[in-house]
Amino acid sequence: MTGLPLAGFLALSAVLLGIGIFGILTRRNFILLLIAIEVAMNSAILNFVVFGAYWGGVPGYGIEGQSVAVVLIGLAATEVAVGLAIVLALNRLRGSINVAEATVLKL
Amino acid sequence: MSGPLNALFPWAFLVPLAPAIAFVIVGLFGRRMRRLEWGGWVAVGGAFVAMVLGVLIAVGEMLSPGTYTDRSFNWFTLPGNGTGTFPNGFSLVMGTLVDPLSAIMLIVVTVVGFLVMLYSVDYMHRDTGLPRYYAELSLFLASMLGLVLADNLLQFFLFWELVGVCSYFLIGFYYQRPAAASAAKEAFLVTRVGDVLFLGGIYIYFQQFATAGPGLGWAAAGFPFVFHGAPFLTLLHPPNPTLFTLAGLLILGGAAGKSAQFPLDVWLPDAMEGPTTVSALIHAATMVAAGVYLLAVTSVFIGFSATDSFAIVAIGGFTTFWAASMAMVNRDIKRVIAYSTVSQLGYMVLAIGAGFTMVGLYHLFTHAFFKALLFLAAGAVIHAVDTQDLFKMGGLRKTLRITSIGFLIGGLSLAGIPPLAGFFSKDDVLSSVYTAAQTHPMYWPFFVLAFATVFMTAYYIFRVWFLTFSGDRPRDPTLPPAHEAPWTMTVPILILSGLAILAGALVFVPQIGGLFTAGVGFPATPGVPPTYTTTDILLSVVSVGLGAGGILTAYVLWGNGRVFSLAEDSAAQPIRRLLLERYYVKTAVDWFGLRVVYAVSRFLDFVDEYIIDGTVHGFERLFSELSIRLRRLQSGVVLDYAAYVVVGLAVFLVFLYVIVPAIPALGGG
Repeated sequence: MTGLPLAGFLALSAVLLGIGIFGILTRRNFILLLIAIEVAMNSAILNFVVFGAYWGGVPGYGIEGQSVAVVLIGLAATEVAVGLAIVLALNRLRGSINVAEATVLKL
Repeated sequence: MSGPLNALFPWAFLVPLAPAIAFVIVGLFGRRMRRLEWGGWVAVGGAFVAMVLGVLIAVGEMLSPGTYTDRSFNWFTLPGNGTGTFPNGFSLVMGTLVDPLSAIMLIVVTVVGFLVMLYSVDYMHRDTGLPRYYAELSLFLASMLGLVLADNLLQFFLFWELVGVCSYFLIGFYYQRPAAASAAKEAFLVTRVGDVLFLGGIYIYFQQFATAGPGLGWAAAGFPFVFHGAPFLTLLHPPNPTLFTLAGLLILGGAAGKSAQFPLDVWLPDAMEGPTTVSALIHAATMVAAGVYLLAVTSVFIGFSATDSFAIVAIGGFTTFWAASMAMVNRDIKRVIAYSTVSQLGYMVLAIGAGFTMVGLYHLFTHAFFKALLFLAAGAVIHAVDTQDLFKMGGLRKTLRITSIGFLIGGLSLAGIPPLAGFFSKDDVLSSVYTAAQTHPMYWPFFVLAFATVFMTAYYIFRVWFLTFSGDRPRDPTLPPAHEAPWTMTVPILILSGLAILAGALVFVPQIGGLFTAGVGFPATPGVPPTYTTTDILLSVVSVGLGAGGILTAYVLWGNGRVFSLAEDSAAQPIRRLLLERYYVKTAVDWFGLRVVYAVSRFLDFVDEYIIDGTVHGFERLFSELSIRLRRLQSGVVLDYAAYVVVGLAVFLVFLYVIVPAIPALGGG
C-alpha cells in the first residue's frame, strides 16, 4: 500500500469510533442514535478495509478484509432496517421516539 | 421343679396387661361414660385382675421356688456381623421373669395398687378430670408391673421411664396450681438425672460383657438377667474392674434418683402436691420402690464391687438420718410421711449395700403396707378436714375412729414396735448392717446414723399422731366438722392395717420366707427370716427402747393437745430453722438454678441471638441493602446500558493493557 500511512487510517477509524460512542451516549432521538451506531460500526468496517489493503499483495493473503467489510455493510443495513422498524413501532405506540422514555419492554 | 400353679407363669404378662387395658378403656372412653366414677371401677377392675393373677403367681413361686423366664416376644434385632460385640446382632426381647424377687414385688405392687385404686373412687369423687386420673393411675400400675416382671435391663429401663412419666402426670394432676405443676417438673427433672446415669450403667454392662465368651449368643438374646438358667453374673467374662465399678455407681445414681436418695431427694417431699392416693402409690408400691428394686436386681444378677457397696451404704445410711431429721419439724401431715419414706428407703438401700439384698426387699415389703396405710389414713384425715396443716388439727380420734386406729398401727409399725411388721424388717436391717460392719469397719458411721434414726422415726410419726388425733378439739375452730370416710376408703385402711401388723411375721412361714432366699442357682442371700442370736436380741431391745423413747418424747411434747414451742432464744432454734429450710438444699438448688444456670442460659441466648442469628441476619441485610442499591442500575433506559457497556469495556481494556502487564504472576512483566 502506498500513499497515506497506516496510522492515519487507524486514527480516522478511532475518531469515527469516538464520535459514534459519543453519539450513542448522548443522543436521545432514536434516529440519531441509529446514525451514531452506524458511525461507530463504520469505524470497524474501515479497519477491515485498511488492513485488507495493507496486507494486499503479500503472498498468502487475499482480500478477506474487503470481503468481510462488504458483509458488514450488508449487516449494518439490516440492522438499520430493524432499528427503523422499531422506531416506527415506538412512534406509533408512544408518539415519541425519545429512547430515554422507553424504559419498559412491555406495555 | 413344677408346682400346681406353674402353668400360670407363661401368662405373667397378663399382670401388667390388665391395668394397661383399663388404661386404654378409661383413657379412650372415660369421658363418654354416663357417670365418671365408672371409669374408676374399670381401673379398680384392672387392678383387681392384676392382683389376683399376681398373687397367684407369687404363690406359685412360693410352692416351687425357681427362676422361670418366658422370652417369646422378640421386639427387634439389630443386624450383626457375627462378632457378638454390642450392639452387633443385639435383640431386644420383651420377656417376663418370674423369680423370688419379682414374686415379692408382685405381691406388694398389686395389693397396694388395688387398695389404692379402691380408695381413690371415693377420695377423688369431688375432683374434675377423673377419667384422666384413673387412666394415668392404671398406666402407672401397669408400668410398674412391667418393670417388676422385666427380664432384661433394657426392658426394665423402658418401663422405668414409663413409671417416671406417669409420676410426672400424676404429681401434676392439679396442674392449674403452680405449686403442683412445678413439683411435677421437679420430680421429672431430678429423676431424669438418675435416668441418664442408669442408661450409662446399662451401656457399660452391655458393652463390657458382650464382647467375648458366652456373650456371643447373648447379645442376640438381649442380655437377659437369666440365660439358660444361670444368672447374668456367672456369664460375664471378667470385666474391666474400673468400668464395672463405674457401672455400679451409675446404677446407684439411677436408683438414687428414682428412690429419692441423697442428693437427689428434693423432689419427693414436693411431690406431695399430687393427690394423696398418688402419694400412697408412689411411696409404697410404684415409683420409689423401683429404685430399690433396681439395686436389688443388680446386686443379685450382676453384683457390685466393694467401692460400689460402700457408696450404696454411705448414701443409704446418710439419707436415712438426713430425711428423718427434716421430718421432725415439718407441719404438713403429708410431708412428714414423705420424709419418712425417704428415710425408710435409706434403710433398704443401706441393707442392699451391706450385702443383704433380701433384707432390703423385706423392708420394702413391710414398708409398702404400713406406708400405704399411713398415706391412706392421712388422706382420710385430709378428706375430712380439708387441711394438711398439723397445727390446725387435733382431737380427731373421736370422729375418725377407724382412721385414727389405722394411723396408729401404721405409726407403731414404722416406729418398730413389736410385733408389728416394721419391727421385724427394720431390726433385720440394723442387725444385717451390724453384721456387715464387723468385716467392713467403714460401715460403722452409717450403722450409727441408722440406729439413731430409729428414735427420730418414732418421734416424728407420733408427733403427727398426737397433733392430729389426740386432744379435745381441733386447734383451728374454723375446721369443718369431720366425718368418717365411706367404706371404699375405710376397707383399704382396715386391710392395710392387717397387713401392717402381719407382713413382718409372714416371713416366718417357710414358703413365704423361701421367697427371700433369692431363688435357685443364685448366690445365697442370708438374713431373711431374721435369726435371733444374742447380739441380735440385744440390738432389738435397744432399738425398741429407742422407738419407745421416741414415742414417749412425742407424747410429752405434743400429747393431749399440748403444743410444744421452742423458746425464741433457745440454742436449738438455728437447728430447727436449718431443718425447716431443708438444710438450705432447696435454696441452694434454686440459687444455682437462678444464678448459674440462668446466667449461662442468658449468655447462650446472647450467643444465639446476636452471634449466630446476628451472622445470619447480617448476611440477609447485606444482600437486601445491596440489591436495593443495585436495583437502581436497572433503569430501563437504553442509554444507561450503553454507558455500562462502554465503562465495562474501558475497565476491561485497562485491566488487559495496564494491570496484567504490571503483575508477573498473570503473565505480564
